[in-house]
Amino acid sequence: MILIGENIQILAKVVSNALKERDEKPLQELASKQAKAGADYIDLNVGPARKDPDIMKWLAGVIQEVVKKPLSLDTTNPVAMEAGLSVCKIPPLINSASGKQESKDKMLPLAAKYNCDVVLSVLIDAGIPTDSSSRAEAIMESVAYANEIGIPNERIWVDPIMMPISVDQPQVVELFEFMKILQDICPGAKSTLGLSNLSNGAPEHLRGTLNRICLVMLDRYNCFSAIVDSFDEELVKLAKGQLPDIKNLIYRAMDEEVDTSSLPKKETDIVKTVNVLMGRSLYSHSWLET
Amino acid sequence: MQLSDFFEPYKGEIKEVTIGPSGKAVKLGGEKTLPFHAFEGKEGAPVRFALEVFDTPPEGWPEHLRSSYADVLSDPVAWADKCVKQFGADLISLYLSSLDSDSCDVKKIAENVKKIADHLSVPLIVLGVGDKDKDAKALVEIAKVCTGKNLLLGPLVKENYEEIAKAALEGGHSIIPQSPLDINLCKELNVKLAKFFPKERIVIDPLSAAIGYGIDYSFSIMERVKQVAVIHNDEMMKAPMVANIGKDCWKTKEAKEDKTQGILWEALTAFTLILAGANLVIMRHPESLKLVKKLISGKE
Repeated sequence: MILIGENIQILAKVVSNALKERDEKPLQELASKQAKAGADYIDLNVGPARKDPDIMKWLAGVIQEVVKKPLSLDTTNPVAMEAGLSVCKIPPLINSASGKQESKDKMLPLAAKYNCDVVLSVLIDAGIPTDSSSRAEAIMESVAYANEIGIPNERIWVDPIMMPISVDQPQVVELFEFMKILQDICPGAKSTLGLSNLSNGAPEHLRGTLNRICLVMLDRYNCFSAIVDSFDEELVKLAKGQLPDIKNLIYRAMDEEVDTSSLPKKETDIVKTVNVLMGRSLYSHSWLET
Repeated sequence: MQLSDFFEPYKGEIKEVTIGPSGKAVKLGGEKTLPFHAFEGKEGAPVRFALEVFDTPPEGWPEHLRSSYADVLSDPVAWADKCVKQFGADLISLYLSSLDSDSCDVKKIAENVKKIADHLSVPLIVLGVGDKDKDAKALVEIAKVCTGKNLLLGPLVKENYEEIAKAALEGGHSIIPQSPLDINLCKELNVKLAKFFPKERIVIDPLSAAIGYGIDYSFSIMERVKQVAVIHNDEMMKAPMVANIGKDCWKTKEAKEDKTQGILWEALTAFTLILAGANLVIMRHPESLKLVKKLISGKE
């Protein structure tokens, strides 16, 4: 699975300070470390950058000095996006466009103009769709529009939008259902999603467990990539297929009810987590304790 | 061949919770089917109704509510008596409104609760005011003073459940954990309680709202709690549920401005949440109680 490293993002204090001061050192360090840890793309999340759209140009420039990985330019501001696009040496990923009218008008055309890949989320003017079929309906329309303006399916990374499991558990199940049918409705399209949002609101020390197991499940549903915490070593290993025993147990727990009575704690936790992600048992912050 | 041959039996049975000391105990829950689906599985105890009594005279009640209790408002024992003997309440829910005053004395409050519990011929629910510290202090004291009376104490929230539940355990009472309209947090509190508190003494409060003021949220959550328990057999969710609706109904402007409207508001809020799965309903107006009982039984 292709991993997009999420660690350069405006909500992190180190990042927002460095961006404000135009201090490239901590940012370059974050990028190098992520590349070394196994990230295939480096996400550059500068937020809406309303006052300072040139920030993306500067950031893309300094990051390219230290890593040879493609960048994922992450902003909702088309002016900042274009500023970034104009300096990228390796074709970057536009992160992201959506089915909202404004995005169709201003963001999607940039993917055609710069001939690069684009993340296209299921978001539409009416909001985030709430089940798999309304996700399908939304994305088919947005993809059709993208095709019309010259962006083929192969350059579209569909983002089904991951919701926090602690807020709306049934949405996780709906997302899996959508991933299963994605290739039927948009043949050849790629996919990606913000994995860490899954565990937003969950106890801090358990977030990794949710993220990692969900990643393996998504991989099985042919999810092409995910935006992840590059510094979660086990997660990176799982994504690269280096932990087959864990992967096999997750697959087994997806397919059948696994009896946990004779399993060690770590395996039991995996089975319980799969059950929560599949919607078989009701989520609570102490899902591992029941 | 019988009709039941076509039904797949449900997996989860709601725990049967007994409130009150022997001789005047009332059972809640115990069903192994969805609300009003007697044809699909075992029905538990009938839905129980409690009327509310305040331990200090209530303020801000509209006249068409107050008038039912005008002669007893300053005497909780007489008030409770009237609810049972005249209005047919299955239980009394005592609201500790005295906790709102700054000079309240929890020892006195607890003695008063004991007096009421001893006097009554039905079980007693004791509810704090929703202030986590004041409630904890009072309910812990009440649990001690009323040892053995098997009161139903609440609400327990995530900030105070430990101390109240421990006192309830020692005093032999049942409890009402309350969560803020969130099924995941509801389960979370049950998981934590289940580590030291017997499940057959828990009645959950997913938080009720009145018609027009968010009842759709309450309905969805109660419905899901019941489904998760009965259909999916979730060990942590198989507790009876309480809908405490009096307070929310009687603060709406619709209930306040007109008697008929107020009674309908409360009765239909109750009925709606019973459809969602409430096993115990706490109400205020005797006539709304009568109306909802009539709706359920189909009898005058």
